[in-house]
Amino acid sequence: MNRSMIQSAVTMGQLQKKLDLVGNNLSNSETTGYKSHNADFSSLLYQQINNQSHSDAEIGRVTPEGIRIGSGAKLGHTNFDLTQGSLKNTGRELDVALVEDRHMFGLRVTTEQGEEVHYTRAGNFYLNPVEDGQLLLTDANGYPVIGADGENIILEDNFQAITIDSNGRILITRDQNQLVEGTLNVSEAVRPRMLESVGANRFRIPANVEEDGIMGDVLSGDVKMQSQTLETSNVDVAKQMTEMLMAQRAYQFNAKSISTGDQMMGLVSQLRS
Amino acid sequence: MLRGFYTAAAGMMANQRMQETLSNNMANAYTPGYKADQGTMRAFPELLIERMGSKTIPTKNGFKVPDAGHVGSLNTGVYMQEAVPSFIQGDLKETGVGTDLALVQNEVPDESGSLFFRVQNEDGEERYTRNGNFTVDGEGFLTTNHGYYVLDRNGDPIDTGGMEFKVSKNGELTVGGQAFTLGVSYTSDASQMVKEGNDLFRLSEEGSIIVNPGEEEGVGYSIHQSHLERSNVDPNRTMTEMMNTYRSFEMNQRVLKAYDQSMQKAVTEIGRIS
Repeated sequence: MNRSMIQSAVTMGQLQKKLDLVGNNLSNSETTGYKSHNADFSSLLYQQINNQSHSDAEIGRVTPEGIRIGSGAKLGHTNFDLTQGSLKNTGRELDVALVEDRHMFGLRVTTEQGEEVHYTRAGNFYLNPVEDGQLLLTDANGYPVIGADGENIILEDNFQAITIDSNGRILITRDQNQLVEGTLNVSEAVRPRMLESVGANRFRIPANVEEDGIMGDVLSGDVKMQSQTLETSNVDVAKQMTEMLMAQRAYQFNAKSISTGDQMMGLVSQLRS
Repeated sequence: MLRGFYTAAAGMMANQRMQETLSNNMANAYTPGYKADQGTMRAFPELLIERMGSKTIPTKNGFKVPDAGHVGSLNTGVYMQEAVPSFIQGDLKETGVGTDLALVQNEVPDESGSLFFRVQNEDGEERYTRNGNFTVDGEGFLTTNHGYYVLDRNGDPIDTGGMEFKVSKNGELTVGGQAFTLGVSYTSDASQMVKEGNDLFRLSEEGSIIVNPGEEEGVGYSIHQSHLERSNVDPNRTMTEMMNTYRSFEMNQRVLKAYDQSMQKAVTEIGRIS
């Protein structure tokens, strides 16, 4: 019966989610390649109450009959903000940063459902030994990085130097000879709103979605990256703090609505005392 | 006999409705493009109160004739008649997200005129919204955050292909050499717009709408990419109104209790046989 309390309670639950989102952004403000998430609100269903039983008595009314009362607000969609994070020079040969907004590296991840391709912006790569004398290029969690030919990047050991150039080619120096022994695969997120965060800095195409057109290939000439550099998170801490204050105030206002509604109920119950 | 009993109760009910409207406004104080509802109270139809009495005609036997006179009019209650959204422009917030669009009305010929984005709901019907918090769906169409297609000026969904599109001030959406014009509708009487939820407005049966208004109608608008129109709810004002409504509710309750005390007197004192 008491709609005002229900509206506020529903909205407070949704505001809590907004706070969760802001909290997650803030805690990842130093995560390499993290893309901040944002969400805005949307109004909820309206109910029409017909409390005008005699339309002939409604003299002077200009709006359609019945009054419509809404049922609060909820979070709309959550979006990633894919803008470029700032670049930080690390001097480490296996760190690369993508410098185009929607480009992503591919990773081969084994999940319970089988092998999946995940995408990431975090370019802090590592070499892990596999079998004898071979090294596998992986991400920070040990998942193989996909090369331009769609295969894992495996390098022979015993080299003097390794560098990644701005087109994603891995240059290996052996006995004063420099050779390209692999190329990083870069894909473009054409419809990034369809991607799903899977944690650990990775995104994937959700299982129930048609894959076509969500990710696109990037021609090798269009690949741009910066070596010995990492992309920092694009979380704007000042903006997130503002959003947090806003959400907190909205929470307080709605809590006030609930307590006002409660006091009104109190007055009703005092009618017979 | 005690007419005011129901008057006070009606007042409480009307205040309760008012509080629901205000609390919904407060809940949507941060919903982009939300238009605050303003409740209007209205008195019940007036009743003419008549006096019953008699007049003595100065004859020998004191002849009396009935004599009724008008006392005046009385309203026996109040109800909430309508909740009309206020279509004042909300201020803009920069988001930096390319799919966020804000519609700003620059000049409209009618005082109560308002502009809306055209969208298509799940039943294929046209609806109107001011919430430009759009997104691109899996097939590349521009949709609202509930997945309703945003329409162009011909009433077709807009295929953006991906995220690479630019929207100019006059509503021209360009994506890879192709150009669309965002569909906008103008109503001269926004009080005919009915809220449906999910940020949508529906046109009532009496209302009329101009699709794609141009210069000949004297309608000027601009569309701002990477911006959102904020809700036009003023939390301070809403809070004040809530306090006001609460006090009014309280006072009606006091009146109701006073009536009850009168009744109690009638039961316990007048009715006592001593």
